[in-house]
Amino acid sequence: MPNFPALASHCVLLARFELYRLIGSPRGWFALGAFAVIWYFLLRYPIFEASVQLQQPDIQGMLGRVFGMVGLYNLLNWPVAELSVYWLITVLLLPLVAVLTSADQTAGDRSRGTLRFLTLRTSRTAIVLGRFAGQMLVQALLVLLSLLATLALAWWRLGSLPLAAVEHALIVWLNLLIVLAPFTAMMALCSALVRSSKLAISLAIVGSGVLVGLLSTLIWYQPDFLWLLQYLPGAQLPLLLGEQGWATFQHAGLPLAQTMVFLVLAWLVMKGKSL
Amino acid sequence: MTHLIQAKALCKKFGQKTVLDHLDFSLEAGEPIALIGPNGAGKTTLFSLLCGYLSPSSGQIEILGHKPGSDSLFGRVSALPQDAQLDPNFSVQTQLEFYGRLQGMNKNTAKAETARVLALVDLAENGQQKATALSHGMRKRVAIAQALLGQPELVMLDEPTAGLDPVNAMQVRKLIAQLSGEATFVISSHNIFELERLCGTVLYLENGRLQQQQPSYQQGAAGYLALQLEQGDSHKVLALLAQLAGVQKVEQLQKNEYGLFYDRELCPDMDLTVLAMLRTEGLAYRQLTQGRSLEQQLFSVVNG
Repeated sequence: MPNFPALASHCVLLARFELYRLIGSPRGWFALGAFAVIWYFLLRYPIFEASVQLQQPDIQGMLGRVFGMVGLYNLLNWPVAELSVYWLITVLLLPLVAVLTSADQTAGDRSRGTLRFLTLRTSRTAIVLGRFAGQMLVQALLVLLSLLATLALAWWRLGSLPLAAVEHALIVWLNLLIVLAPFTAMMALCSALVRSSKLAISLAIVGSGVLVGLLSTLIWYQPDFLWLLQYLPGAQLPLLLGEQGWATFQHAGLPLAQTMVFLVLAWLVMKGKSL
Repeated sequence: MTHLIQAKALCKKFGQKTVLDHLDFSLEAGEPIALIGPNGAGKTTLFSLLCGYLSPSSGQIEILGHKPGSDSLFGRVSALPQDAQLDPNFSVQTQLEFYGRLQGMNKNTAKAETARVLALVDLAENGQQKATALSHGMRKRVAIAQALLGQPELVMLDEPTAGLDPVNAMQVRKLIAQLSGEATFVISSHNIFELERLCGTVLYLENGRLQQQQPSYQQGAAGYLALQLEQGDSHKVLALLAQLAGVQKVEQLQKNEYGLFYDRELCPDMDLTVLAMLRTEGLAYRQLTQGRSLEQQLFSVVNG
């Protein structure tokens, strides 16, 4: 019977240590530097330029027709244009970034033997959950920083910031965390299966490709199984882009369920692994 | 009564290869315990099972009445695993403090405890360095330091002096001897002489089987003396030793080294008799040792 208070306390310690890895180690400082540079270019060019263009009535009309056709009309109704461009970019880009940055949850430590020191003091369950929580904590911080920068950009362009923009930024932040959770949990599983972060990334990409290929083949011969595609990670993203405000959370159930499934699989793999 | 370690019909297989074959033993807390065996005997596999890094293929193993790796053993059992390395991204001190926090210490206690264990392995000045900046021997000592954090009841050390220079190896042996009253040490090593000095009980593994479990010191009426001379005609020395009253058998171990079997109850002062004979014959000796070495005890039984 697991000791739940100890499990929770170890998960918190492990998650905080992952955050410390970002802000307290040279490797983390380099990652933060790279993050700042990438976001400078994203904010300065695509987000700022697109936000300016979106103020033109003819561009709005054209995009309204295009987005209306693909069910994304709501993207034009955000309180500030910067947030709608930010949302469009991040919801499609960040899952890939999460796959790349959260690949080393346990693989490196297992190959180095560091997990042997850890498992003398904490359970494998706490390691899986704590490392996952740590990755989510890091992502939450980085997404929050980029959102604050986006709001600052909007403030600078408009001279003031509508309160609705702050509310929408909070909704975007929570939504992005929900979007990223299954991809981060998938990397917890891949990281538990192999012995390096590169292999974990390869496994995630190849595994996803093979899964989609197999499902497509199955659906080609048995079209009744088309519904299976709705359960793949990220399947809710097109629907999510078509919504706005608190209504977006109606699509949160699937990614949260996928996160649970991936974490249970990662725990099972980790439990049976030789260290 | 709860044993420190108890194994029942313990087996471990990797594929078709049986690495540990039906081990049955129980060990009690107290003096350090040696785990000895040739390369490939299964020592590290047994260590990994004890630490919970591996699961047995069959049979049972318990430490302090619990399955290895269970929550109840966190902080009570520690280990120096072979070839395990600290995270290269953080300083030694940061990681040891983190391990202390996981063991339930608060921030200040973890800091003080880290300073204590680093001082024990003579690395008090190196806490701020990363593991990658340390030499192999220093990394080994840091790994020993992490095993001493807190108050573990059982400390398992896999090859603790392998790769250390003689001075540091001696320091580690001293440290184990010094701390052996506070925790029970289980030490795996190829260095039989090191284990002989440190350990009270010996587990001898060979081909995955437990060949012997015995105290490392001599028991019973069978007496034995090992004699090392400066020089001397071996035929003459063997004859002189054989004619001493109470001597049952004499053997030549190496050049200028001899072994005497005698009845300890009949001749309790055989050492004095031998020394008197050496003085009479004008033979200079280098060493006279009571009892058979651990190496002689193990291999005379194992190899006949």
